[in-house]
Amino acid sequence: MRNNVLLALLVSFFWIVAFSAKADGMVVDKVYHPYVMPLERELEWRLLSRQTEQGNVLAQRLGLGWSLTETMTIEGYAIGERDDEGNFDLAAYELESRWQFVEQGRFWADIGMLFELEKRHKFDAYEATAGFLFEKEFGRTSLTMNAFLVREWGKDIEDEWESEFRAQLRYRLYSAFQPAIEVYVGEDFFGVGPGFIGLHRFEGQKQLKWEAGFISEISQSGKDHSFRLALEFEF
Amino acid sequence: MLRTKVSSLSFALGLPLATCSFALWAEESYTIILKNHLFTPAHVEVPANRKVKLIIENQDPQVEEFDSFDLNREKVLFPNRKSVIYIGPLAPGEYSFFGEFSPNTAQGIVIVKEPNNAS
Repeated sequence: MRNNVLLALLVSFFWIVAFSAKADGMVVDKVYHPYVMPLERELEWRLLSRQTEQGNVLAQRLGLGWSLTETMTIEGYAIGERDDEGNFDLAAYELESRWQFVEQGRFWADIGMLFELEKRHKFDAYEATAGFLFEKEFGRTSLTMNAFLVREWGKDIEDEWESEFRAQLRYRLYSAFQPAIEVYVGEDFFGVGPGFIGLHRFEGQKQLKWEAGFISEISQSGKDHSFRLALEFEF
Repeated sequence: MLRTKVSSLSFALGLPLATCSFALWAEESYTIILKNHLFTPAHVEVPANRKVKLIIENQDPQVEEFDSFDLNREKVLFPNRKSVIYIGPLAPGEYSFFGEFSPNTAQGIVIVKEPNNAS
């Protein structure tokens, strides 16, 4: 009963963040699942291309992660972005940790947590993120939600609190193709669009996962479309 | 504006109450042994529309990984240890699973039947 009350409070937190999310910058990224696989290492590449009336923003990140315990994983990223002059260069680095809180399927929903610390490469600017990861199965459909609180600080950035909400409704059609609808909410940003997830297994624990999404911002009248792509090789 | 905030708040407070109404129920458990890279029994019958617990005892000296796209579960099975996998509620049908490190031998099926048809 106590676990269900805690779960209920967490669900409230998700909805409060979803209805009051405030985060500038690039909100579209990835919807995290609250699961950790022990003995697993992961090499990850992500691409985000955002097209607005002001132009195109391009960001890529390369990450290497591994599980530290049966319920905790850690991943380090190098993030590259294209600057105003069109040069693509290292922009930031990040350390991320995910915790799986409950055994999958044991309770009404599955819960995990995510912590991130990011440092801008050439600036005195930091960003710390903490948030909850939620997943609930409905037959072959899975609803995943992320609610994050973000703190930015440093000499080259305004000190502020932000919040973000992300959601993904995924239908497990085939292992290689699982269509989804994704939602991203931040400050003056409500993006929604189709996506798909898939995976191909190799020998043993080796597998390649792919995710892609095309998100359109719908709360403002201007053009704002984001394309995201992620490849993860687990070994 | 106030109306929107009130609606959001009622939704935020109402959903947890609905969540609380899903009380925990005692799950039936089914034991599967993994030995010599074989799951025994390889066919497990479970009742439909109920959450059940698979207890998998890995008696092999190697790590195995339980994998099932049908059941949406992946679980590392450490040697000489019992691992618990919660599945369901599931609709009637057959749900296959396998061991990632011995996919040709470590195979099994969860057969989900309506309670009055389950053995």
